[in-house]
Amino acid sequence: MTTSTVAPSATFAMRVERLVKEFGGLRAVDDVSLDIPQHSIVSMIGPNGAGKTTVFNMLTGLYKPTSGRILFGRRDITRARPDIITGLGVARTFQNIRLFGAMSAVENVIVGRHARMRAGLFGSILRPPWVRREERAVRERARELLAYVGLREEGFDQLAAQLPYGDQRRVEIARALASDPTLLLLDEPTAGMNPQESSALTGFMRQLRDELRLTILLIEHDMKVVMDVSERVTVLDHGQKIAEGPPEEVRANPDVIEAYLGAPQ
Amino acid sequence: MEAGSLTPRTPVIAVRPLAAIRRYVGRWGLIVALAILPIYYGVRDLTHGYAAGVVAGHPVIHHDLTQLGFNFAVGISNGAIWALIAIGYTLVYGIIELINFAHGDVFMIGSFTAVGLWGTFGIGLSTGTAGVIGGLLGTLVVTMIVCGVLNVLIERVAYRPLRSAPKLAPLITAVGFSFILQNVGLLWRGGSPQSVNDLTRQGDTVFHIFGVPIVRGYLMALAVMIPLVFLLGRFISATRMGRAMRATAQDPEAARLMGINVNLTISLTFLLGGALAGAAGLVYALYNTNIWYFQGFKAGLIAFTAAVMGGIGNVRGAVLGGLIIGVIQALADSRMGPQWTEAVVFGYLIMIMVLRPRGLLGEETREAG
Amino acid sequence: MSSVGDDKQTPVGDGVPGAGDAPVPAAGQAASTGTEAGAARDGGFAELRAQLREWRAAIDRVLPPWWSRGLAIALIVIGIVLPFFFSVDSGFMNATIIAVAYAVMALGLNIVVGFAGLLDLGYVAFYALGAYSLGWFGSGFFYKAHIHVLVSPVAGTLPGIHLNFLLVLLAAALICAFAGMIIGLPTLRLRGDYIAIVTLAFGEIIGVVAVNGQSVHLSGGETLTAGNLGISAVDPPYFPGIGLFNELNLRPWYWLILGVMLLVLFVNLRLRDSRLGRAWIALREDEVAAVSMGIPVVRTKLMAYSIGAAFGGMSGAFFGTYFTVVNAEQFQFGFSIFILAMVIIGGLGSIWGAVAGGLLLGYINYYLIPDVLNSLPSKLGLNFQLTEIEFGIYGFLLVMMMILRPQGLIPERRRRLELTAKVSVSSTDAELAEPSSFRTTGVEE
Repeated sequence: MTTSTVAPSATFAMRVERLVKEFGGLRAVDDVSLDIPQHSIVSMIGPNGAGKTTVFNMLTGLYKPTSGRILFGRRDITRARPDIITGLGVARTFQNIRLFGAMSAVENVIVGRHARMRAGLFGSILRPPWVRREERAVRERARELLAYVGLREEGFDQLAAQLPYGDQRRVEIARALASDPTLLLLDEPTAGMNPQESSALTGFMRQLRDELRLTILLIEHDMKVVMDVSERVTVLDHGQKIAEGPPEEVRANPDVIEAYLGAPQ
Repeated sequence: MEAGSLTPRTPVIAVRPLAAIRRYVGRWGLIVALAILPIYYGVRDLTHGYAAGVVAGHPVIHHDLTQLGFNFAVGISNGAIWALIAIGYTLVYGIIELINFAHGDVFMIGSFTAVGLWGTFGIGLSTGTAGVIGGLLGTLVVTMIVCGVLNVLIERVAYRPLRSAPKLAPLITAVGFSFILQNVGLLWRGGSPQSVNDLTRQGDTVFHIFGVPIVRGYLMALAVMIPLVFLLGRFISATRMGRAMRATAQDPEAARLMGINVNLTISLTFLLGGALAGAAGLVYALYNTNIWYFQGFKAGLIAFTAAVMGGIGNVRGAVLGGLIIGVIQALADSRMGPQWTEAVVFGYLIMIMVLRPRGLLGEETREAG
Repeated sequence: MSSVGDDKQTPVGDGVPGAGDAPVPAAGQAASTGTEAGAARDGGFAELRAQLREWRAAIDRVLPPWWSRGLAIALIVIGIVLPFFFSVDSGFMNATIIAVAYAVMALGLNIVVGFAGLLDLGYVAFYALGAYSLGWFGSGFFYKAHIHVLVSPVAGTLPGIHLNFLLVLLAAALICAFAGMIIGLPTLRLRGDYIAIVTLAFGEIIGVVAVNGQSVHLSGGETLTAGNLGISAVDPPYFPGIGLFNELNLRPWYWLILGVMLLVLFVNLRLRDSRLGRAWIALREDEVAAVSMGIPVVRTKLMAYSIGAAFGGMSGAFFGTYFTVVNAEQFQFGFSIFILAMVIIGGLGSIWGAVAGGLLLGYINYYLIPDVLNSLPSKLGLNFQLTEIEFGIYGFLLVMMMILRPQGLIPERRRRLELTAKVSVSSTDAELAEPSSFRTTGVEE
């Protein structure tokens, strides 16, 4: 069940205009435009290789678009550095979990907060009272976030590489939340989850949208999740946008069906 | 104005100057940078002239390109040696993305082995021409085998166990092996450069081209390099094992799935690279008439520069790079003084790796962003 | 850095198996999930390792929680009073002084290679620049100048630039910090092995400049360096109240370098557990993820190069004054590898490991091999001295270390538990986890 909370003149969290990405001779993303309304949950779906992660990487600054424009709020972040984009309020998780293995779960989340901390070289060495306070506050916040995403307390100080898969996913989300983002990009968050877990995650995403006032863009393969949680769905195939709209509409779209299942006999 | 609409000038965040420079440099920029030295000195020779000899107390000034030609002749001959070594680097890097740090020292062991074999085969300065040629051919074969096997051994001991470790680990063991080999050389023939018999009378002039004396040494270097490179090229392009090498270099997983014995292919690559380094070692000993335990380190860096310049992973590039570096080295040696040559070569290395890591003939390297 | 669109798993651990023995194990958190998997993999050694772990856990339970702090303090106290057990010009103290200076170098390189994961093979450049800082600002080399700051009465009359040694240390640190940034700048977008080559090339270039600096003329007839002849009129340190250091009494030298080492150690410990230290480790583990978390790559990496270089420079300045000469021959590539060996054998990324590695290799190099074991090969009937195969020994140690115990003698504190090379993705792991669901109720605190 989706309740559309998008008012007609709502502001856009992110606007993507005619994005193109070429790798050598290959056009991985071909003229994709997208608007993500504030405080909404938008899904990007499509068969494997459709270019979804490439789009994500451009949104977060890891790839530079060949052409096109990306606007976050009012700022043009098309060619911005990834760390600056994160500082502006965009956070992400990865398709293959990329936690920092040599750090505990708590430390991973603390690193997520890097952009919001102010301790520099001399602050780190001298540790004046404000730095100590900052460290304490960040550590507390990290533990809060880990609890919020549902990690059991024994896991907090375990090395991230030691945690079971499901917990690692949680830590990744907590780490993304640590930077106080306004836009959260989730790359296949339910990969490897069973139906109960996926459903719990869906509820959690709604919670993030409502409690933390986040906007969420997700790449997903699990159609149940997509139908359940999205207010809007964008479909990519071979780098191009082939459909967009509310989930039921997109599901019935013949082009979409063809892209996933092949041409009807 | 509506909150979500665009303001006339949306602030753009962050500028990346280095990337912009790179876009403009490109292959032509690299070619220009490489050509600057010969062009500069060529023009200077033509206009200001250079001193070539003394007649009745006054230096004779020539205004021609003979001196430059001489530099080129020396450079290409040295370059042939570097090319042979560079091929080893580039083959190994192409197949397992690892810099075989010990490769230069395999070359050094090649020189030492070759000189040792001269004694074993009894080739000396008084041996007749047929004896020398036969003996040298025998030396070439044995040295190539020894160095090939040595390289394979290094791979088995130092690199294979660490294939799944982060890239730092095999690099460290490679450095460790480099040290071990250098120490072997040190113990074998001591710490100072040793002069060896000039078996081929490499300094004898055979003929002249445009006034540039072409000595035996040049011809010998090319006579060894060209057939070997040709044979290697045929092997890689025409045989099954060669195809296996190319496939593994492109995608080891796919190669394995296609039934290629990846471990064997990698070992073969090391074997070939080592063999060529061994050949280079023999040529070096004949041409330079001087061997030194430390020669591998120096040669290794020069050859690696050549491999990178030509495009790492590309055999033709390694040959081209070797020849070019040889010329640059010869120019620096004779025009700036040998004490600055290293700095010049390494300066080029840094420049290439920063501004155009794929070199002249290489493809886009797999880096993100 | 790894390509983002890659479907290959980026190993989240360091990809290296081995028991994690840390000086600060968390009580009660001994390897749980790691043990069984590790045992299954190791076969023969598994039982031994498991037994060792049990003993260690038992010992940990008995020790008070502050034992590691106590141990550190005890070691420092021993370090301070050590000279009193030896004569003022003892050969052992000589070796110890050099070993401690090496430990400072190792601590510096540990920041670059260990924390930030940037393989710097040209660290000798900072030894050189540090030593030359002394040669320029603490000797009669620039004979045209007459600058004296807090130096001994004798040096106060000599021509040249003579600064108090502490100022020289500061100058060395600043010069090297700047140089570190310059050297690091071209490497920022390069892969690991390419970084190694570029830094190596820089190290060689500095070496060439050092040798040829005697023909590089500055204004006033002075040259940049004295090449292979060396700058030999360098000042010994002088402190008002303590007097001029001399070669007969090694104790002040020792306390000076010990003081420097403790300072560097302190800075290291503070940095490791700080925002900057975490940023370095994040960059090392996964640059793509790190930058996505808001860590500015350029700034953070350059910081690592700078600070690492500064420490190397300080140690270099000390070496210069201790060896009383600054000679271009001292700056060879082998030195870079020597320091790297210290960091690796000690434990990559581990602060105490770097100290241990520095001390160990310093002793081996300056005491064990030349003084104690040098005649060992001849006793075994072999035809050479041990010093002649020094570098071969280091090479061998490097190879052995990487194959057998890559985490080093004292592994990095964070790698407490046994690491596996791959992220655990199996569904069995998910099943083993206690059911913990995302909270769907409750307000975020």
